[in-house]
Amino acid sequence: MNRFWLQAAEVARKDLLIEGRAGEVLHITIPFGAVALLLLPLAVGTDLTLLENIGAGLYWVIVLLFGMLVAFRQTADEGPAQRDMLAMMMVDPVARFAGKAGATAALLALFEAALLPVVVVLYDPVPVGGWGWVVVAGLLVAVGMAMIGTLAASVTAGLRTRNTLAPLLVAPLSLPLLVGATQVYNSLLGGDSPFVFLTLLVAVDLGLAIVGVLTAPIMEET
Amino acid sequence: MTRFEKSGLWGALALLTAGAVVAVWSPPDAIQGDYVRIMFVHVPSAWLAFLAFGVAMAASITWLVKRSPTADAVAASSVSVGVFFTALALLTGMIWGRPVWGTFWDWGDARMMTTAVMFFVYLGYLALRRAIDDPLQRARRSAVLGVVAFAQVPIVHFSVVWWRTLHQGPTIVRPDPTIDGRMLAALLVNLFTFTVIYVVLVLFRLRLSSAEESLRARMLSAENPLAGSAVASPDLEVLRNA
Repeated sequence: MNRFWLQAAEVARKDLLIEGRAGEVLHITIPFGAVALLLLPLAVGTDLTLLENIGAGLYWVIVLLFGMLVAFRQTADEGPAQRDMLAMMMVDPVARFAGKAGATAALLALFEAALLPVVVVLYDPVPVGGWGWVVVAGLLVAVGMAMIGTLAASVTAGLRTRNTLAPLLVAPLSLPLLVGATQVYNSLLGGDSPFVFLTLLVAVDLGLAIVGVLTAPIMEET
Repeated sequence: MTRFEKSGLWGALALLTAGAVVAVWSPPDAIQGDYVRIMFVHVPSAWLAFLAFGVAMAASITWLVKRSPTADAVAASSVSVGVFFTALALLTGMIWGRPVWGTFWDWGDARMMTTAVMFFVYLGYLALRRAIDDPLQRARRSAVLGVVAFAQVPIVHFSVVWWRTLHQGPTIVRPDPTIDGRMLAALLVNLFTFTVIYVVLVLFRLRLSSAEESLRARMLSAENPLAGSAVASPDLEVLRNA
């Protein structure tokens, strides 16, 4: 493994270690997402057919909205001293971006996996063939959300309004991920090929990776 | 207000009147009737939003290359005005949509959805600027966001081509324009009018930004007096005369 990936892996390991000690995602965000899935039927109606039809869509909305809490968790926030220390240790800013996004993607994948049984139990969504593609879509969404979140976190780092401002930046930009994820499920439901929407998710992820690589050195100056 | 700004303001008001006159002079549409006149505000607003965000992106790139405070001020001013025009395009689109489409908002329409997303992305840009006090940090972070956010503009523009939803496709920018000559003339007059208004608004916004910066600097210096500033130096003139 070359120096870049070693640095990225080390940054990701550091973030996951801090998260593992604090348990912010596991003990707070995942139960919060599950509560939201429990409350939603009380607002839209408890008709079982309706819940079967909207279950998958609501799952992705919860993943995207509550996924922001994962991306902007307090444990991922680095103060100026930590940033300066990483810069003085000659950690490549792009490797830092990759490491932070990687750690957040892993936590988002965990968040998605934890909420999946909740939505199946509460909503009983219409089953589709090719669940493997839904899993692939979930992983692509996790990677995309993680990169948007990491970008937004670096733009809002150190601000008093970080926790309210960052979701405002992320929510509109994550629309292609929401469309891609929901349409993969809908395509499978209609017996169509999900490849168009999987390609959309891959394209969005690639675009975000390019933006992350190009902007990381500039944001390092902050 | 400078003489140039006064001239710009009066010129914009005169052009706005001319735009309103030609919008009334233009014939009603065969299907939409008089509702088509809303388009003389809606279409220029949408085009101006694209122009404003394009200028903001160019100014953001200029800042990233040259670190010029003027480029940062131009980007911020252009986004402020662009957000106003985006809101105007959305609002007039909804007002027109109610009688013609039968609904204010069509969830399945790609152009409406992508425009709304663009509006919120740039609202986020303005919110980010307001949240940062340090001018250098604000300029750097806004410049990055100004470049990234521009990705929304081609998506909004081509949404009617990529997704065949309710919003009509290109009417003017195509090899065989399908619009009536008088309507096209009225549209072009209003497009020019709105462009002048955009320039005037950006100039006013730049002046306001400059005044805001001076005020902010003055407040910061008042809050943080220099060490030892409470100690006055002896007045040598008084001592000599005593």
